[in-house]
Amino acid sequence: MSLSQRILEASEVVGKTWPLYAFVTSNPLTGYEKSPFKEALSKAAGIFGARVYPEPELFRKAWENGEIHPDILLPILREHGMKDTPEHYLKQLVADPGQSPETGSQELDRITAKWVMAFLDEGLAEWAMPGKKHGFYKAWRRLAGYDQDLAGLRKRDMPETAEGALGEILSDYPEDAWMEILTCHLAALPGWTGYIKFREEARTAWQEKYPISLEDYLAVRLLIAKSLEAPILPPKTDRRADEAGEILPYLWLTAWERSWQQQLVRSLAEGVSSVDAERVGDTLADAQLVFCIDTRSEPIRRHIEQQGNYETHGYAGFFGIAMDYEHPKDGLLRKSCPPILGSAYKVREVPAADRDDSFEAYLKKRQTSGFIHYFLRRMKNMLPSAFGYVEGAGVFYGGLILARTWLPGSLDRLIRRNQPAHEAICEPQITQRVQGHVHADTTDIPLAEKVAIVKSAFDLMGWREFAPLVVFAGHGSHSTNNPFASSLDCGACAASPGRHNARMLARLANQREVRRVLIQEHGLIIPEATVFIGAEHNTTTDEILLFDTEVPGTHKGLLDKVKRDLDRARESAVQERLQLEKPDVSAALRRAGDWSETRPEWGLAGNAGFVIGPRSLTKTHNLGGRCFLHSYQWELDPEGKALEGIMQGPMVVTQWINNHYFFATVDPERFGGGDKITHNITGQFGVLRGNGGDLKSGLPLQSLYQSDTEAYHQPLRLSVCIQAPKKRVGEILSKNPSLQTLLDNQWIYLIVLDPRDGDTWKYSQNLKWDRFDAASKPSKKPKFREAVFAETEMA
Amino acid sequence: METLGNTRQRAGLSISDWAPVLLWTAFSAIAAYGLWSFGELPDWKWEGILRINGFTILLWGTVTLFSAIVASYSRKYLTGFRHRSRFMALTLCFTLTVMTLLISEHLLLLLLSWLGMGMVMSGLIGIRTEWREARAAARYSRRYFLAGSAFLGIGMFLPAFWTGNFTLSGLLGAIPALPAILISVTAACLILAAIIQSAMYPFHRWLLSSMTAPTPASALMHAGFVNGAGILLALFSPFLFASDTLTLLFIIGGLTAILAQFAKLLQVNVKQRLACSTIAQMGFMIMQCGLGFFSAAVAHLILHGFYKAYLFLSAGEGIAQSEPQAPPRIRIKPLQAVAVLIHGFLGALLFMQLTGKGGGLGSGSFLTLIVAITVGQATYNIVKHEGFTAVQRLLVPPLLYVAGIGLYALVFNGVAAFMSDMPLVTESMPLTATEIGFGLVFLAGFFVMKLGLYLKHPWFYVKLMNLTQPIKQTV
Repeated sequence: MSLSQRILEASEVVGKTWPLYAFVTSNPLTGYEKSPFKEALSKAAGIFGARVYPEPELFRKAWENGEIHPDILLPILREHGMKDTPEHYLKQLVADPGQSPETGSQELDRITAKWVMAFLDEGLAEWAMPGKKHGFYKAWRRLAGYDQDLAGLRKRDMPETAEGALGEILSDYPEDAWMEILTCHLAALPGWTGYIKFREEARTAWQEKYPISLEDYLAVRLLIAKSLEAPILPPKTDRRADEAGEILPYLWLTAWERSWQQQLVRSLAEGVSSVDAERVGDTLADAQLVFCIDTRSEPIRRHIEQQGNYETHGYAGFFGIAMDYEHPKDGLLRKSCPPILGSAYKVREVPAADRDDSFEAYLKKRQTSGFIHYFLRRMKNMLPSAFGYVEGAGVFYGGLILARTWLPGSLDRLIRRNQPAHEAICEPQITQRVQGHVHADTTDIPLAEKVAIVKSAFDLMGWREFAPLVVFAGHGSHSTNNPFASSLDCGACAASPGRHNARMLARLANQREVRRVLIQEHGLIIPEATVFIGAEHNTTTDEILLFDTEVPGTHKGLLDKVKRDLDRARESAVQERLQLEKPDVSAALRRAGDWSETRPEWGLAGNAGFVIGPRSLTKTHNLGGRCFLHSYQWELDPEGKALEGIMQGPMVVTQWINNHYFFATVDPERFGGGDKITHNITGQFGVLRGNGGDLKSGLPLQSLYQSDTEAYHQPLRLSVCIQAPKKRVGEILSKNPSLQTLLDNQWIYLIVLDPRDGDTWKYSQNLKWDRFDAASKPSKKPKFREAVFAETEMA
Repeated sequence: METLGNTRQRAGLSISDWAPVLLWTAFSAIAAYGLWSFGELPDWKWEGILRINGFTILLWGTVTLFSAIVASYSRKYLTGFRHRSRFMALTLCFTLTVMTLLISEHLLLLLLSWLGMGMVMSGLIGIRTEWREARAAARYSRRYFLAGSAFLGIGMFLPAFWTGNFTLSGLLGAIPALPAILISVTAACLILAAIIQSAMYPFHRWLLSSMTAPTPASALMHAGFVNGAGILLALFSPFLFASDTLTLLFIIGGLTAILAQFAKLLQVNVKQRLACSTIAQMGFMIMQCGLGFFSAAVAHLILHGFYKAYLFLSAGEGIAQSEPQAPPRIRIKPLQAVAVLIHGFLGALLFMQLTGKGGGLGSGSFLTLIVAITVGQATYNIVKHEGFTAVQRLLVPPLLYVAGIGLYALVFNGVAAFMSDMPLVTESMPLTATEIGFGLVFLAGFFVMKLGLYLKHPWFYVKLMNLTQPIKQTV
């Protein structure tokens, strides 16, 4: 096996670290998914010295709140020969400090991080590391001689290439120890190595210009280790998996998950029985609104439905367009579709008819704000203008501080209002994405592809009828002074706001020739009178912004009514989310605009379920924002193609998100980003804790915990519920081994509500199913989150 | 669904709720008094232990304002932080120690408040006691602050015991009676205490290792704590004049300012970059002291406090996607060069006119040179920006520098008025060779930066990088 193959294999132990400007909520243990959940966890615990199961405190609370049902827990304990009371076993759960012991490699870690950090910088420093363009190893080799920390290192000790250096060092060790050496040194600073992995794979502009590889990293680290006389081959540690210690938390976790599943399935069963009743009086809705499958869509959809005759649907928030988006505000290209998908298209903005002048003015403003940014930076950096600048501008900064302290909400609104919005003056244009040529433009894409994009949206959601107004609502968030802002945006759009995709799909669906082909070739009839518009749901303030420039006069009245209803839905949604006594959106606006707010919103915290089926299944209950919802009609999908697409795409994305939340909650420092209040931004793309050290990856504590000790997110593995014939789901799984592996290894659960026989099935292993028994009532009514699963008041 | 509302801490009035209110009230009262009594400075003494003068009022107002801002910010920012109450208590203690320092007439009280200030700041650096690196950083800074306090103690009590006078004014009054060697030792100790507090080279390392403190604590440290040097030097300025150590101060400050400003360029973390900037700015403030312009130094520390507090409190805004960019080329047309020179000259004139300093050939002309270069630099960037129309290029530079210099003059004159009863606070002295030399060094530094000459010296990069690393136990 070649060295690079070995490195690739060894690097499986660390996840990828994504830049914070494009945060991806991925499973930090992706590399372990080929192993069963339990095994993977004890392996990861050994490698990282991390906590992998929820703290006993969390189980205790869940137990006391009734979130873990005795009827479920007791049999599980008995099955493993544990005959005592649950309280007894609760006491036996011991808190795992999860702190990695002193490894003796702190100095090695510190010096390695110092150099990697200097190299990876993306423009924070005015003076970049000299020789960066030669790549990390070569640049470091030129400078290492000047570093007093590496006094023992001489030029002749450092071969010319990284490969040579690695080969030389490894040759001192037997070949069967190499894997261990590589793994241990890659896992020592998993945040930084994860970011190098990201750069190598994403081939960002920075990577193209200043290349770095894991090979470079290892060569540098091992040479530093040599000069420090630190061990290359890690000393054997005795941290072996403590079987008995791990089984107990696993059982508690399982009981908690099953308790949640039971509640979920019971409420869905009620939804099923209500469907037949509803079918009778089926009337066409005034408007149909499509939201992302994101858990935050469920509450707002519920509140909109209560305002009138509206139908809402769930669809992946990138609206089926695998695109990169070029934002006119800076001309940079950003991914705007799930990270697991390659981008086939590029969408950019062109001025709408007669709006050339406004667009010019927009670009002018962009140029000016770019200049102001550059100007201030120059004034602050240059000697000695920095001193004069501070004296001249000090009063201004004082005024800004006072304004942001006293009027956080209004100042923020004022600033945002004055920021030019391009949606009113532009229209999105879709072109083919030419790989490797970021800025190359091609012409329009073929009509057939446009038709396919529109058609697949309605295929997957199972639509046949269209209201006069159809709204595609992407979602984005709004927070201030928040390094993790993009983690609150749309995950399906690679942490971009979803508005661009929504506008693009609306535009395609409005095109005459697209509709013509849909009718002629696919029998999908979109009435003349139907208008599609893009929109964006702001998840921090629950405002829904409609991009309505193209709506004809005939729809004006309807549009106004929809806007009024959306405003009302917003008020009640905010009231519910923030638990306010009376409707008042200003509390949400304050959170969005306050620079001292570390919890602007909860993002997807609480996620635990994914329902694939018609809205009627879930409409009858308040799911408390804990479920992803994807619309699906099994009757319209006899071959299971649509369902297969949903399981390959959205289901995998929700699994990533769910596993990320799980691990970041069980060990916030190791798998999450840790505490925001001591974060230190590095390189414009990431954060460190305090003075330096490893790059943080993952969601911060404040996205998962309501205080240092009280978790807000309940770490449960995702339960996917699909309404479809069991046989069809089984066929899809056997065709997709990777999905089956995920389920067999229990990274997520799968429950099928078979509409044919009315039975509920739970996937067990190797394509075998168990009958799901949701009949037994819990002995204790859950106190916690009582509102969840409460029946929805119908308007 | 449990909601955001539940992140509030326990019911009942906690220190986090009342501390900000108390601080804002204190600030309002002090500000109201300061404005109401403007022109006639208070002069109040009590038993040789306490005294209040204009300087006290001025800096009481400043420190309560900064503390109030930080407390208001922390109340929300630290929601859920297990040590939030202790954080608030330490913030209050910090305010109290600074206020005590400023009201101290007795030297022992002065020393104790100086020491207390340092201990409180170490407490904030290590507030996350369960975090090993934070404890190490707190220990490390505490050693510096103890040393600083020891120097202050020696510096004050040697002459105090000699003269038998333990009050500040008494000691300053007795300077003529002290032997020259004692004055020099005293001045040296005071300078050491001051430059430790202000993180001057070679005592800069504690500041660069202090990021274990929560963000608002850093704001308080960089806007308040490090300014201790300016206060101390202003209070004891007669010793500096008597010992003729101003030039030494000027050199320490100048070297640090240049070094830190270069080191700032290569920092890749926001907070370390801000720390280098603080060190450079403090260096400049020490230079102003060295020039004899103590009121200018105090104006600088207040304005820098606003600037740095703002940058720390908004330090979460530094995430941005970008692409590598080639540095813009330096090329200037003759006409633009003329505009730069004219505006630089006009700016300097305006500065002299409005502040009344820097005229003639006194030491203040150094400050005027800085203003001229700053205005020139601003003008240079604006006239070169292609997005501006000719009219904009003509109007924007004067608008900016008239506003900037005008506001500065307002603050400076206000500060000078509050400090007018202090001995020798705005003393312009003849320009010395050292100052002319440093003026040239600054100009050279300006051109080295402007032309990017430093980029050709990789060893300099590595030296500066290592010089500004946090101490290893704290990473």
